[in-house]
Amino acid sequence: MSELLPQQQIDKLKAHAAEIEHPHEMIVDVLREIQAHHGWVPDAGVVLTAEILGITPVEVEEIATFYDKIFRQPVGKRVVHICDSICCWSTGGEEIADHLQQTLGIGFGETTADGLFTLLPTCCLGACGDAPAMMIGLTTYGPLTATKVDEILAKERAELAKTTSGKD
Amino acid sequence: MPKLIIDNREVTVPEGTNVLEAAQALDIVIPHFCYHEALGAVGSCRLCAMNFLEGPVEGLQMACMIKAEDGMVVSTVDEEAVELRSHVIEWAMTNHPHDCPVCDEGGECQLQDMTVAGGHSRRRFHGPKQTYINQELGPFIQQEKNRCITCYRCIRTYRDYCGGTDFGTFGSRNRICFGRFQDGRLESPFSGNLVDACPTGVFTNKVFRFKSRVWDLQEAPSICPHCSLGCSTIPGGRYRELQRVKPGINRETNGFFICDRGRFGYDHVNHPERPRQARLDGQQATVDAALTAAAQRVRQMVEQHGPDSVAFVGSARTSLEAGALLAEWAKRTGSPHLLFETHRERDRAARILVDRLGDRACSLAELQQSDLLLLIGTDLIAEGPMAALAVRQAVRAGAQVVVIDPRPIDLPCSCTHLPVGPERLPVFLDTLVTRKTEALTDAERNPLQALLEQLDAAKTPALLGGADLLGSRGISRLLDAAVALDNNERPVRVVGLLGGANSYGGALLTRSPRDFDTLVDDIQEGAIKALVCLESDPYRECFDPARAQAALGRLELLVSFDCTPNLAAQRADIFLPSRPVAEMAGSFINNEGRLQAFEQVIEPGISIRETSSGDHPPREFSLETPGALPRPAWQMLAQVLDLPGDLPAIRQQIATADERFDALTSLTADETGPRITDPVVLPDTAPDELPQCVPGETLPLLPVQGFAGSDWLAHLSAPLQPLEGEPTIWLHCDLAVRLGLAEQDQARLTTPLGHCHVTVRTSARMADNLVLVPHLWGTALEGLVPGGRHIDCRLEKEVNL
Amino acid sequence: MTDYTQVLFKNRRPGETASLETYEKTGGYEGLRIALQKTPGEICAQVKYSGLRGRGGAGFPTGVKWSFFPADQPGEKYLVCNGDEMEPGTYKDRQLLLADPHQLIEGMVIAAYALQAPVGYIFLRYAYEDCSQVIERAIAEAEAAGYLGKDILGSGFSCELHLHRSAGRYILGEETALINGLEGRRPNPRSKPPFPAQRGLFGRPTNVNNIETLANVPHIMRNGNAWYQQLSAPESSPGTKLFGLSGHFNRTECFELPLGVTLREVVQEYGGGLRNGKRFKACLPGGASSPYMTAEHLDVAMDFNALEEIGSRLGTAGVTAFDEDTCMVAVTRNINRFFARESCGWCTPCRDGLQTISWLLDKIENGQGTEDDLTMLHDQVRNINGRSFCALAEGAMGPVEALLRLFEDEIKEHIRKGKCPFG
Ligand SMILES: Cc1cc2nc3c(=O)[nH]c(=O)nc-3n(C[C@H](O)[C@H](O)[C@H](O)COP(=O)(O)O)c2cc1C
Ligand code: SF4
Ligand code: SF4
Ligand code: SF4
Ligand code: FES
Ligand code: FES
Repeated sequence: MSELLPQQQIDKLKAHAAEIEHPHEMIVDVLREIQAHHGWVPDAGVVLTAEILGITPVEVEEIATFYDKIFRQPVGKRVVHICDSICCWSTGGEEIADHLQQTLGIGFGETTADGLFTLLPTCCLGACGDAPAMMIGLTTYGPLTATKVDEILAKERAELAKTTSGKD
Repeated sequence: MPKLIIDNREVTVPEGTNVLEAAQALDIVIPHFCYHEALGAVGSCRLCAMNFLEGPVEGLQMACMIKAEDGMVVSTVDEEAVELRSHVIEWAMTNHPHDCPVCDEGGECQLQDMTVAGGHSRRRFHGPKQTYINQELGPFIQQEKNRCITCYRCIRTYRDYCGGTDFGTFGSRNRICFGRFQDGRLESPFSGNLVDACPTGVFTNKVFRFKSRVWDLQEAPSICPHCSLGCSTIPGGRYRELQRVKPGINRETNGFFICDRGRFGYDHVNHPERPRQARLDGQQATVDAALTAAAQRVRQMVEQHGPDSVAFVGSARTSLEAGALLAEWAKRTGSPHLLFETHRERDRAARILVDRLGDRACSLAELQQSDLLLLIGTDLIAEGPMAALAVRQAVRAGAQVVVIDPRPIDLPCSCTHLPVGPERLPVFLDTLVTRKTEALTDAERNPLQALLEQLDAAKTPALLGGADLLGSRGISRLLDAAVALDNNERPVRVVGLLGGANSYGGALLTRSPRDFDTLVDDIQEGAIKALVCLESDPYRECFDPARAQAALGRLELLVSFDCTPNLAAQRADIFLPSRPVAEMAGSFINNEGRLQAFEQVIEPGISIRETSSGDHPPREFSLETPGALPRPAWQMLAQVLDLPGDLPAIRQQIATADERFDALTSLTADETGPRITDPVVLPDTAPDELPQCVPGETLPLLPVQGFAGSDWLAHLSAPLQPLEGEPTIWLHCDLAVRLGLAEQDQARLTTPLGHCHVTVRTSARMADNLVLVPHLWGTALEGLVPGGRHIDCRLEKEVNL
Repeated sequence: MTDYTQVLFKNRRPGETASLETYEKTGGYEGLRIALQKTPGEICAQVKYSGLRGRGGAGFPTGVKWSFFPADQPGEKYLVCNGDEMEPGTYKDRQLLLADPHQLIEGMVIAAYALQAPVGYIFLRYAYEDCSQVIERAIAEAEAAGYLGKDILGSGFSCELHLHRSAGRYILGEETALINGLEGRRPNPRSKPPFPAQRGLFGRPTNVNNIETLANVPHIMRNGNAWYQQLSAPESSPGTKLFGLSGHFNRTECFELPLGVTLREVVQEYGGGLRNGKRFKACLPGGASSPYMTAEHLDVAMDFNALEEIGSRLGTAGVTAFDEDTCMVAVTRNINRFFARESCGWCTPCRDGLQTISWLLDKIENGQGTEDDLTMLHDQVRNINGRSFCALAEGAMGPVEALLRLFEDEIKEHIRKGKCPFG
């Protein structure tokens, strides 16, 4: 995960940026790709985005810091976004959030010691019918109970174990 | 012209005026943060609320976002509007620290003023405040992010108006801050404007910080002496130390901003080696004694060797008043030798421009209205920085810019650049005049053809050229081109970038067709035996310093009036300490012929800060203020001439003698200034030698001006030192490869003047086959004068042992 | 589930997304064929007379908006589909896409043709990765079938669609902020005028519509205006609407119902009443920015005009119910925190005013509120409402203003008791 983006992908993005009239429109796309590959966007990721698009790092940083789903600080392998908006709140979202903090042993904004999970509150996930809801990575889960949360975390852990052991 | 009623008073304003401006026209000032005359309205602060009672829009509105229209009836005192304003202030203050007593913005903080004006006096919000980590932004700007009220003025100034690219807005909601991506010096040559743009203390002047409370400063309207544009400034000083410079407002010239050279170049006034003592034959003397001696010896010289044996040379930083008195002195002696620029080509270029500019003159405000700008042989960032900003505003309004110049020009806006060698510039100018393209190469023909078409189609075209690269012939040709490109619908405007703040005024005063180079011949031959230098340095600020220095050694009498430690001042038989702009009143005429007055800001003297060795008040006592002897040059010259030594009388005298200067008698420092254009005495036959390099066997060298380091006064200013850097040369990438050199290599530059170690910079955006040398005072490069004699050089890679 | 005619949801099956084949079998892309026989002006006129109103929250008549669009102007013009859907309580666009995505593609191609804006962007929020895959597949299928791309169905009209996946932030739902977002600028709203129809994406004429709005267009083309208008009772609000139920309902699902059904019907028939047999106390009728309705409004018709008359808004028709045990101060505090957090930071009333309200509501809910705080809350709402740069802050004031209007007693009880009366 130390590499920001594979060279091949960089070349592809560069080629695309060279073709289009307004490369700025790709800022979010490139940041998302770096994040998907590297987990989060370090300063070097901002610089790389600027380089790919032929623009200045400051133009990228202005965008990267605006959106809350671009991580400019290190996060764990999986980011757990627990919804704290009104529908989830009214259906027990706070208890689920407490449960998550307890089982993971971390507070909001923190990452588990094993580097697997980062817990963040999020606004409404558009899963209000399935409240309370959370999103891990890009997958939405709900309606949640404490038991379901445990199952989901166990499943995510198992998957992570597979990918990491595969890599080693 | 819409007519509307604001607070029961009628006002008629130009089309496009917004209602906030319309109210200001009635002297009704409504608190506002985000609106700024130069930056426009964006409607983000929501402070300028007014109630629209009748007319096309109704209800409570942000006045800055509404264009004035006929039939509007507006109230600024409406209860709802007043309540909203007080709330906006309350919100702005929710995150603001309460460090006002120690805040370096104190005394000129708009937030304080608006808080009081908005009626917010008690804090109701007691929640936590947002806090931020500050960045290190280099030598000029101090950042204190916690004070931000998010009015977006900084970003609109730095990036939108000034074209800086290393500054941004970060974050969202109520966690927003402004700065660079990472720590580092703000790169824009206009970075200092952040200080004035920010209504509170987020960006403050790092150099001035904590030197004085601003209400303790002595301030007065002045004119920047660091280039020929004549921007309005407001220098501030205390205890005889000049401490800072702010922009003054002149809607015809600089508008609301200035460049960093103008802002941080002031410290020449406080230079530790500034000569403050009159000298006579190497001994200290009183000013009176030295003046008497000067008058006497000049008279003796004339008596013994005739009037032709004395020459008088002023400079581009000589005030119009002092210059006129120098001319009077020359006239009284009968000497024909009077000029105001020791650099031959700058002198000749200025005189030609003054002679022929006429109605083509173009202020920076007018330049912003141009739809096509051709910049030929000028690097505005170096030769007239604020003109670059005017060009940017034109581009923002849709103008096209074409640059023909050998340098890797960095304008703060987009442009089409043809990087051709300097020897091609005359050819291009000829083509603009004759429309004959035979002399052009194939590669040059198409762009020039296209340019001619663009120029013909343009409604408000302007040609800009610099005296250094174009020389007198080039400036003359530039004016020819303007004539040739005129059509019935519109004239073509011309902007000439000249040697200095009063180059234009000096040219107006010049009475002889000769230039300094021909005087050097006379000196060399012994025909001229005495030289009176008024704030000028013929040793180094001339076309061919080597030749001049050899000749000057033969002088029998050298008189120098100056406020800087230059060579003339050091070598003078009689030296008279004069005052820089900030220490006197006077006037300059800028490159478009605009006569502008400046007032005295401070008295001369060595600052208490220096004499007290840190203690306050100082523990040493004397009846005289140390270092207070310098007098305005015009005052000393008046004494030589037995004229009254007060400025109004001198101005009256000048106006009476020469009606072109009529406006001087009533001129004040807060007006935009009248324009003076008039025929002058032109230099005689043009020199055969082309001012610029010709490609030959060896490597041609092209000395050019830099943003910092080439202006003598700015070079003497400590705050600007960090910008000067090391001696550097620029090469086209291809040439670098051929020479076996690479970016950032150390190299040894050999010229007829000697050797010099330089850092190599390369660019693909410049002319091939030449070595660009940004002139740098105080280094081995100082002898390489921009716009000077053609010099060849050799370049070898420095091998580190 | 419901006896009402299903238009947008007619192909909805649990856990399934309708394929192109299914869509075609039920009349899919017939609307496009019909549209391509007409002139762009005729389509705009038909949409105008159909009475279709925007489903993105404001209910602006879609055909009227289209008629402002300079379709004849040469040069680039853009169609943008707003799939930001980030207002709490709103999840109907997601349900629509997951059920039957080709409706959107077909609607966009028809709109692109009607507006002569052949380049379309679908702007999709970060959390909708599932929808993004569905859209990508639908685009590929439509292209392969000749419904999208060059020379569509031999008509000579070409149209391309791009999917833009965002990275979070509610403000991007505001159309001008969205346009800035697409351009890769900071997504602050732009001042209007100029409206996007004059100067939008990349400075060119741009039309922005909600997903559900666009998805209605093919059905209108295929079945005609008379059919469309008879779908619902109120003349001012024709057609069906996706109602996303959430909160304390027994059933928190998304239903396609005719506009104008009563709140009572929604609560009882579709929501199945409230959980644990509790009584209905209040609801947000159309997303977190819509002012509360209470039990006294149960017989109000859920359409654009009727809700405005009682001081609320249909908004996105995401109905979030609260039972009798719910503290409305706490509800409002939660909602306000959302808006404060999602403020773009451009203008002072929103950026710092919402923060101030958050602080006040925290204080009151925590039992530390005073009468002065209540006064301050009133003056904050008064000075934010209608004073901000865009409609976000105004939307944020919806619930706060309704709290003060409908539940001031509850606030006072907090202050009097020095704690939340709901425990
Ligand atoms: C703060 C804010 C958020 C918005 N969010 C959305 C949204 O998520 N989806 C949407 O379609 N419209 C949203 N809108 C409305 C859009 O600005 C725009 O009016 C709408 O997309 C137009 O489409 P329609 O006419 O089809 O409804 C929002 C408006 C505001 C002020
Ligand atoms: S730093 Fe100053 S100018 Fe910039 S937004 Fe903040 S208060 Fe305004
Ligand atoms: S542009 Fe010239 S006159 Fe203006 S501030 Fe800069 S150096 Fe001074
Ligand atoms: S109301 Fe103002 S701060 Fe809030 S989202 Fe709109 S523009 Fe941004
Ligand atoms: S409120 Fe949690 S998903 Fe909508
Ligand atoms: S000055 Fe008008 S809104 Fe800021």
